[in-house]
Amino acid sequence: MRRLLAAVVAFVLASPVLAQNRDQLTIDLPADVATMDPQIQWDTDSATVYRNLFDNLLTRDKTGKIIPQVATSWRFENDTTVVFDLRTDILFHDGSKLTPEDVVFSVKRITNPAFRSPQLSQFDQIIGAEVTGPAQVTLKTKSPYPVLLAQLVKLSIIPKAYVEKVGDVAFNQAVIGSGPYKLASWQRGVQTNLVANETYWRGKPAFSRVTFRAVPDSATRIADLKTGRADITRGLSPDDAVNLRSEKGLDVRDVATERVAYMFINTLHGPTTDKRVRQAIAMAVDRDTLITALQQGYAKPVDVVLAPTNFGYTSEVKGWPYDPDKARKLIKEAGAEGAVIPFLTSPVYDRRLNEAVQQMLADVGLKVSITVVDQPTYLKRRLGTPEEASSLSQGRWSCGCLDADGVIFPLFRSGSVWSKFANPAFDAEVDAARATLDEGARRAHYKKAFEIMREEVPALGLFQDEAIFLVRKDIDWTPTPDEAFFVFDMKTKS
Amino acid sequence: MTRHLAGRIGQALLASFGVLTIVFFVMRLSGDPTLLLVPEGASAEQIAQLRHQLGFDRPVPVQFLAYLGDLVRLDFGESLVQRAPVLGILAERIPYTVALASGALLVAWGVGLPAGIAMAVWRDRWIARLLQALVLAGQSLPTFWSGILLILLFGVTLRWLPTSGVDGPLSLVLPSLALGAVTMSSFARMTRSAVLDELGRDYVNAARARGLSRSSAVARHVLRNAAIPVVTIAALEIGNLLAGAVIVETVFAWPGIGQLAIQSIQSRDFLVVQAVVLFVSLVYVACNLLADLAYAAIDPRIRMRA
Repeated sequence: MRRLLAAVVAFVLASPVLAQNRDQLTIDLPADVATMDPQIQWDTDSATVYRNLFDNLLTRDKTGKIIPQVATSWRFENDTTVVFDLRTDILFHDGSKLTPEDVVFSVKRITNPAFRSPQLSQFDQIIGAEVTGPAQVTLKTKSPYPVLLAQLVKLSIIPKAYVEKVGDVAFNQAVIGSGPYKLASWQRGVQTNLVANETYWRGKPAFSRVTFRAVPDSATRIADLKTGRADITRGLSPDDAVNLRSEKGLDVRDVATERVAYMFINTLHGPTTDKRVRQAIAMAVDRDTLITALQQGYAKPVDVVLAPTNFGYTSEVKGWPYDPDKARKLIKEAGAEGAVIPFLTSPVYDRRLNEAVQQMLADVGLKVSITVVDQPTYLKRRLGTPEEASSLSQGRWSCGCLDADGVIFPLFRSGSVWSKFANPAFDAEVDAARATLDEGARRAHYKKAFEIMREEVPALGLFQDEAIFLVRKDIDWTPTPDEAFFVFDMKTKS
Repeated sequence: MTRHLAGRIGQALLASFGVLTIVFFVMRLSGDPTLLLVPEGASAEQIAQLRHQLGFDRPVPVQFLAYLGDLVRLDFGESLVQRAPVLGILAERIPYTVALASGALLVAWGVGLPAGIAMAVWRDRWIARLLQALVLAGQSLPTFWSGILLILLFGVTLRWLPTSGVDGPLSLVLPSLALGAVTMSSFARMTRSAVLDELGRDYVNAARARGLSRSSAVARHVLRNAAIPVVTIAALEIGNLLAGAVIVETVFAWPGIGQLAIQSIQSRDFLVVQAVVLFVSLVYVACNLLADLAYAAIDPRIRMRA
C-alpha cells in the first residue's frame, strides 16, 4: 500500500508543468483534429493543426498577397494552362525529396471523386496535372479559372511514395509532410504533439515542441490561459474579449477576417418577394447598433456582402441608410403591414443578433417569427427549395479564397443551392467575372453585380467578422485575415 | 435462477435493440451529414455525388437493414468524419469515461453513504441540517455551472488542481467532484430514508434491549438491511453518471465517450453515435442485471423465492 502511495505521489509530482516552458507552446482549440490527412477535412480546428506539418504549393504573406512556397514561380501559358516551377531542396520528414511527382499526386488524389474528399469542390476545376520537367508541373483547368492560385494556397503537398506504401488509413493516423513541424503523437480527442523539423528549408522553428489540446468549453480555455496551462486560444466572444482586456500577462488580439456576416432575404417565396419589403428591411436594420451593442466594436460594417480583404470588394456601392420612417412607408405601400416574416436559424448563429433584428423589424411593422433548428436541419432547409428556406436568416460566410467569386457566386447565382435569387443580369456579371483572368474586367463585373444586389436586396451585408485570440503577452505573433495559424511565424519576444 | 438470468439477458438485448432502432431513425429524420461535410459553396451536383457515395440517398429502412447486417458480423463501420474504424474510436474513449465514472462513484459513495447515515442517526441535530443543505446543493446545482465554479475556485484562484484535460491523476479530481455531486445526493437521501426506516423496527429495540449500544446496533444490523434499496439505486445511478458525463466531459475537456457523443451528434457522424448509444444502453441494462443479482446475494428472501 505504501509503495502504491509513493508511486501515486511520484506520478503526481512528475506531471508535466505545461506552458511555462519557453521552448514549448501549448494551444487550446475548441475541438480535436478530425483528420490529420490534409486532403480530407477542412474544418478550422483540423486545418489549424495539420497545416503546420505540410508545405503548400503557394502561400500568402502578411498582407494576403499570394507568394511562392513549394512553387518558386508560375506563368499562364494560356487561359487554362499554368506552369509552376518548383523548389528542389525540400525534404519530407522521412528524408525523401519532395518531387514534381508528389505535387501531381497531391492534385490528382484530392480531385479524384472516388477519394470522396469533402474539399473536392475547391479543386474540381482542375482537369489535368502533369510533370513537365525535372522541377516543373503543369495544371490545366476546365475553363479560365481566376481563383485557381487562391485555391492552391490550401493545397498541402503529401509524399506519394509514403502514402502509396502505407495506404490512406495509416497515412491519416501517422502523416508525414515537409512542413516546419513533425507529428510526434496524436491522442484522439485529447491532444496532438508536434516537434520541430530541425532541418526545415525555411529555417529552424522558434518553438521546439508544440501541443494542440482539445478544450470544447470557452470558459475552460480562458481558465487554462489564466493559469498558464496554455499559451494561445481562439474562438473568444466579444464579451469575453472585453472582460479579458485588463488581464495581466495576457493579450487579446483580434483581426478582421474575410468572414462576412449578412442577412439572407428570400426573393423567391413569401412576403419578401416584394422588392419594397426587402428594401424596407435594409433600411430598418441599424447596423451600427448591432456592432456597438452586440459585437462590442469587434466588427467592421460592410455595405456589400463581401469583406474588404477579398478581391472584388468595392467601397463605391453604398448601403441603404438607416431610415425606419421610410421603411415604414415602403411597407405600407407594399401592403405588408403586420406581415409575418419567418426567420430560420440554428444555435451556430448569434441568438442576440437575431432577436435584435426581430425587434428592429417590429418597429417598422413586420412580425418576425424566429424558428431555431439544429445545424443539419438548418442547412437542409436553407439549401432546399425557396419554400423551405424561410424569408430571413443570418449567415456568416468565408470561402477561404479571398475572392468575390467564392462568396457571391455560390450565395446568389441562380441555380446554386444557397441562392434564392434569380436575376439574369446579376448572373451574367458573376459568370463573366469567373470566365476571365483580367483583374480590371473582373473588378468591373463585381461592381456591377453589387449594384444589382443593392437595388434587389437578396441579402444585406452587416459586418466583417473578427477572429479574437487570447495570447500570452510575450509571444510575438499577429493573427492574419485568412485565419491561417502557422506556428512557424511565432516566436517569444526577447 | 439460470432461467431467470437468461430471461433478463434476453430482455436486456431487446431493450438495446429498441434504443438503437429509435436512434437510427430519429437521427436520419433530421438530415444527413453530407451538408456538414462539404465546404461552403459546393454545388448541388457535388453534394448529390457525395451523398450517393456515402449511401445516404438510399431509403432509410434499406440503410437500417444494411447496418444490422454489418452489426451481426461485428462490423461497426468507419467514422464519416474521422475516416477511422468506429470500434477503435470508441475503445480509445471508454477508459477515460470508466475512470471518470469510478472517480464520481467514489465521491458519491465516500460522501453520500456516511452523510446519509449521519443524517438518519442524528436526525434532529445541527449536523444533519448542515448535511441536508449540502445534499440539496449537490442535487440542484447544474453540473455545467458547478463545474465552472470548481475550475474557477480550485484551478484559477487557489491553483491547487489542473483546470482541464488529462494530465495525471489530479486532473480527475475536479470532474469527479462535479459529476459525483448529483449521485452523492441521491445516495445520501436514499441511505437516510432506508436507515430511518430500519431504525424504527422492532429488531433494533430488541438489539438495544440485549444491551447493544446504539452505534453497534446500527453498524451490525441496521446497515445490512438498509443496504438493499441502496444497492438498487447504485446500479441505476451508473446510468445517470454516463448521462451526466456528457456535460462534465465537455466542461473539463475530458476525452471520454460523453464528449465523443456530443461531437458525433453535432457532426451527424451516424455510425459513431450508434456505437455510443449501443454501448451506453448495454452498460445500462448490464447494471440493472447486476443490481438484480446483487439483490439476491444480499437478501436471502429473494434468493429463496427464486
